[in-house]
Amino acid sequence: MTPNAKPYALESLGLRMRVFLFFAALAIGAVGLLCLGLMLGYHRLGSPASLNAFVQGGVIGSFGVLGLTAAIWYLFDVNVSKPIDLLAGALRARAHADVSAAMDPSVARYLGDLAPAAHAAALTLSETRNALAEAVARETTRLSSEKNRLAALLSDVPVGVLLCSGDHQLVFYNGMAVDLIGAASKGAAPGLDRKLFDYLREGPIRHAHHRLTEAEDQDAASDLLCATRDGAEILAARMRLLPKDGAAAPGYVLTLRDVTADLAAHAKREALLTEVLDRVRRPAANLRALLAVLPEGTATPPAMDAALRQEADGLSKAITELAKRRDEGQADLVPRSPLRVADLTDGLRARLEARGLALQADDAPLLLRCDGFEVISLLAHMALGVAEGLAVRQFGLTVEEDSTDALLRLSWQGNALRIADLETWLAAGLDEDVPGVTGRHVLTNHATDIWPETQADGRQAICLPIRIARRSGPRPKPIARAVVYDFDLLGKARNDKVADSALADLTYVVFDTETTGLLPGQGDEVVQIAAVRIVNGKRVEAEVFDMLVNPGRSIPASSTAVHGITEAMVAEAPDFATAGRAFHKFAEGAVLIAHNAPFDMEFLRRHEAAIGARFDNPILDTVLLSAVVFGQHEDHSLDALTHRLSITIPEEARHTAIGDSVATADAFLKLLPMLQGRGLTHFGAILTELRRHGRLLKDLN
Amino acid sequence: MPKGDGRKHSILVIEDEDNIALALDYLLTRENYAHDRVANGGEALARIRAMRPDLVLLDVMLPEMSGYEICQAMRLDPDLAAIKILMMTARGSAIERKKGLALGADGFISKPFELTELRSEVRRLLER
Repeated sequence: MTPNAKPYALESLGLRMRVFLFFAALAIGAVGLLCLGLMLGYHRLGSPASLNAFVQGGVIGSFGVLGLTAAIWYLFDVNVSKPIDLLAGALRARAHADVSAAMDPSVARYLGDLAPAAHAAALTLSETRNALAEAVARETTRLSSEKNRLAALLSDVPVGVLLCSGDHQLVFYNGMAVDLIGAASKGAAPGLDRKLFDYLREGPIRHAHHRLTEAEDQDAASDLLCATRDGAEILAARMRLLPKDGAAAPGYVLTLRDVTADLAAHAKREALLTEVLDRVRRPAANLRALLAVLPEGTATPPAMDAALRQEADGLSKAITELAKRRDEGQADLVPRSPLRVADLTDGLRARLEARGLALQADDAPLLLRCDGFEVISLLAHMALGVAEGLAVRQFGLTVEEDSTDALLRLSWQGNALRIADLETWLAAGLDEDVPGVTGRHVLTNHATDIWPETQADGRQAICLPIRIARRSGPRPKPIARAVVYDFDLLGKARNDKVADSALADLTYVVFDTETTGLLPGQGDEVVQIAAVRIVNGKRVEAEVFDMLVNPGRSIPASSTAVHGITEAMVAEAPDFATAGRAFHKFAEGAVLIAHNAPFDMEFLRRHEAAIGARFDNPILDTVLLSAVVFGQHEDHSLDALTHRLSITIPEEARHTAIGDSVATADAFLKLLPMLQGRGLTHFGAILTELRRHGRLLKDLN
Repeated sequence: MPKGDGRKHSILVIEDEDNIALALDYLLTRENYAHDRVANGGEALARIRAMRPDLVLLDVMLPEMSGYEICQAMRLDPDLAAIKILMMTARGSAIERKKGLALGADGFISKPFELTELRSEVRRLLER
């Protein structure tokens, strides 16, 4: 035992334990002195017959002293020690976690002026803080609006933009980058501080980075082709280094464009051209040779005749077949971003209404492969022609799916349109703003044609086939278009050992599950799992995991009443093995946090075999963290904790996995500075502290 | 090929390429159809009105007036609406086919065609 061990051990005890030990020592001392006094008296009296009386007196006296001390200790504990603990917790919350709710003075009514004084201190602190916050807020408003404008600008750039630190961790990404690299990684969308190589193959990027770092020229950029991890997408990328900051390898900006379709279409066209030359050259040469040896004006000998027919046949067949294949590939040749039918309708309606014409349209859940501006201009131009030539004011637009094409029909009640008129309009310019672009030009661009029709219901129409890109699902959440970034990550120091890492440097995944019941050991299953990420001490709004899970069993009505998830809602949902795999990917490399983690972890661990992955992440439990900060005697339910920390959970979000995950994450972020205030700045220190509270809940690490 | 009443079926070929027209002339003569040819789209409608053929073999790419235009004009004219139209095109893409059929063509054949294919298509339309 070292000389310092004893005081350290005493200091590490809680206040209430120390007070208890003090009273215990007092009681033992008093009893000892009483016994000593009685023993002295007995010896001085020298009468052995009085021993019994002395012992009786001693026992009664000792019990009296013990009882009295215990009673005083109890009163002291309830009215002094415990209120001091409570006051300390409340003060910590106000000092570190920016809690501004009024303190309850009744808890410490026997502590004289301490509670009112603490209250006054907290109030002054809160006022000072508010004044400071207001000043800071004013100053930052301008910066923040500037930042938002830049973010909006970047989120709308039609190429994927990534910014990585020198060790290839993601620091910034925009919505387009999510589309490009997120789709390929099977559900694991990009996340801040994740390795770029989780999404893209390593070789070309490392090579380009190395080349640029070696080069003297700071403005140099490097073009490269890289593939997504599964090899499904080929991306054309451009890398440019960020200004060097310190000794570490410089970070870089990577802009990405999907060229898979371009490359495939180009390769297909090249192959077709080669085949055309190959298949046409031979019969043409043969025909020429045959005809060259045949004297003009003479009858063809039968063998020669057969040879001529055969070659002409082959030539004709080859041309027909090759032309057909060319037509099929034509529309794929020009890569265009898909356009929703609804957006096309909106655009056309706006154009027509500006000219006093009405458009009635039905929606079709289709995305078209076309240039929206060109197609809308073409249809508007046609409608204006019809309106003028045939005196029509009302138009309809229908969309019919016809194998690979969508047939757009602009219809009206009235006379038929003559092709000759249509051709005249097609030859004219479409828009004053883009001179030289005619309707015919747009049709050629889209490898299609346009024609008048008489519909079965007698209405007249103009029909325009446009290649379908795909069926449209629900619109992506607007958040997907946002840019996500934390530039502080560029200079962040990383520690390989979690225990040695500063709490603020770790990445956390805070999760929650909704279940069929509370007994995972007796067949209850998960029906919903959700999680949020905390990177660099901030919750990343855009990085959210939220999935319904088919539990493979019935959901009791009592559980549905809590979380609102019905059997119908999960009928089409993936099973837990699939959801668990996706969640495992989402949580990769992060510390897992849950409120009452053993409950949620039991579901995950029970299915590890089916998921095919182990959840060996370090784990924190906000119940235990709350016990460390506020003491074990408090209520540590999520509602109580969030209330104590002035976090509001919207009523509709309570008892949804995502709502509770967000609340838990925000509670953790408020607990973090309070833990740091107690000197618990590293993960290892937290674990040691938590193990002291182990009897409250089982420790999972 | 004679009609049910003993008269020959009549066909008007509207085609500007002489060599194809020559081949069609051979074929239709051999098949015993009454036939005639117009090389210019602009003259086509007048000739159709005068001749009243049972079938028009109509090329798409024609000088002055396109095959589509002639096809639509015939379908909009009640006197000519019953005449069968077999369109011939050099490209034969699916879009062209859709456009031709939408405008009222009865059949579609793409160049270069097999004469046997053309023969059976003509027979099919005339016997319908």
